[in-house]
Amino acid sequence: MATYTKNFRFGEFVGSLIWLILWILIIIALVGLPLIFIVLFYVPLPPVNGQVLTPYLFLTMTVDPSRTLPIIKYMIHTDLFRITTFPGFTYAALIAAVTIFIERKFLAKMQLRVGPLYAGKIEGILQLIADGLKLIAKEIIVPSGADKPLFWAAPIAFVAAAAAVVALIPAAPTWVAANVDVGLLAVFAILGFFPLIALLFSWASNSKYPFIGGLRALHQMIAFEIPFILSALSVVILSGTLNLTGIVNSQITSYWFIFFAPISAFVFYISSLAELERIPFDLPEAESEIVAGWLTETSGMIYGLLQLGSYVKTYALAALFVILFLGGWAGPAVMPVELIPGYTGVQIYNHTTADAILWFTLKVFGVIMLMLLPRGISPRIRIDILLHTGWYKLIVLAFINIFVALALIYGGILGPGGLLVR
Amino acid sequence: MTGGPHMADPIFIAVAVLTVGTAILALEARELIYGAIALAISMLGIAGFFLLLDAPFVAMFQIAVYVGAVAVLIIFTVMLVRTQALFTTKEDKKRKGAGIALMLIIMASLGALLLASGLNGQFGNFDNAQTVDFKQIGHLMLTYYAPALIILGLTLAGSVIAALALARREDVEQQHERTD
Repeated sequence: MATYTKNFRFGEFVGSLIWLILWILIIIALVGLPLIFIVLFYVPLPPVNGQVLTPYLFLTMTVDPSRTLPIIKYMIHTDLFRITTFPGFTYAALIAAVTIFIERKFLAKMQLRVGPLYAGKIEGILQLIADGLKLIAKEIIVPSGADKPLFWAAPIAFVAAAAAVVALIPAAPTWVAANVDVGLLAVFAILGFFPLIALLFSWASNSKYPFIGGLRALHQMIAFEIPFILSALSVVILSGTLNLTGIVNSQITSYWFIFFAPISAFVFYISSLAELERIPFDLPEAESEIVAGWLTETSGMIYGLLQLGSYVKTYALAALFVILFLGGWAGPAVMPVELIPGYTGVQIYNHTTADAILWFTLKVFGVIMLMLLPRGISPRIRIDILLHTGWYKLIVLAFINIFVALALIYGGILGPGGLLVR
Repeated sequence: MTGGPHMADPIFIAVAVLTVGTAILALEARELIYGAIALAISMLGIAGFFLLLDAPFVAMFQIAVYVGAVAVLIIFTVMLVRTQALFTTKEDKKRKGAGIALMLIIMASLGALLLASGLNGQFGNFDNAQTVDFKQIGHLMLTYYAPALIILGLTLAGSVIAALALARREDVEQQHERTD
């Protein structure tokens, strides 16, 4: 039963609400509107229907649908949208969220359990929101003796590094936040930050289980870094470019590289499982041995950030697999050419881009499912086997396919003017 | 990387301040671990310089090797070794002053040497500078510089084999522990 305070009066409650609304209106009028106009004066605005959009007309123009569409179209093609929304962070975070839910249901079905069921009536579809709210509401406990600046900075750095990888991933032709010439190298350079962050965070926790987990993470990530890079090298040899968009285009003009470099694809898949610390390579957070590994002292949103970061990283590595081996966004055209037949106004919808996004997302989810699969069927492997696999077996396997790729190039089968190049 | 030579100036100053500032911090930090982190950031700053010089390929390797590997090894070592066991701090103002003076003399003489040498003329024409293409680097490595590349490869392979020979433990054989 809810209890009222002793001197509760309804009139006072309504009065306080009115005061609140009054204050909000005053603040909007004195601070919010001037701020919007200051921003509008500095942001370049598009011409609408042959008329230059001025900050004075902005608010009146945005309510008119025939003028709103060009503004939306202009906004979609800004760099800010790319970084924050579509190939960038929001898209990745959305896929990460869907991945977490799919993982729980998928593993439950594999092991004949039901998984999340109660939140949101239909198959526990709101479980994720409930978990998120719980994490936000929880207290963040910083262990005594912890190194506070590092303890706070490491989770943020983890998410930031994962988002930086996402910024390099093209999701459709020309749809990439940062289209750099050395894209693939940049991805590996950023992936090198993760062992550093894990090690620093585990040290900052000032507790022995996190530190053991951090050392394991370091061993594991460094052991698998080299086969990881070598497995991507055969793709670079086949396509002749380090630019990720270029790699996809060279697969569109010939065939998917998984047909020419299946061993590399296998090595890449295994190495990315190790890089993501997923079962069977989850030694850094082995919950039956060292509590929760380097995540032991995390609570509340610090744990939430690390989870978000690791699932965004999962998306990034799955997307990288799709780009390197599965032809990126290549696929048959299935989307309708026109959304509204006979409409001749400003077009936002572009059917080739829509096809690309559809196929890219589908392939990424396929690879993510493949990455989730071992968690349902495989036990954790021992650390010496892990290091042995990384340093001895996978490196040799990766080299095999590099020689195959070189043979394909020098044999005139792939590469410029090759037999299989359309 | 972006804009003309005039755009790079504020970015250059920011990167320079970051690099030199964190380098000083790496020396002066009370806690060794913060010093190591500052060193990693300083290396990132050097990668930033390579980006400003239109050499993204070198910049990415700078990040991958120095931040991803060297900095991690330094931090790893610092974490496992107690500070007291590593250093006995002998800090007095004379030594510090002498060190700074020596550093300034070295920097000034290096700068004077560079300005006096033939390299001086190349500093002026930034406008004609071209992006260092990594394909060109690879081509040169396999044609003109092929002997140097082979010697480097042999040296590295030799050092890897030597490291394996040094790290090899005789007592592991006796335990008969299967590793696969």
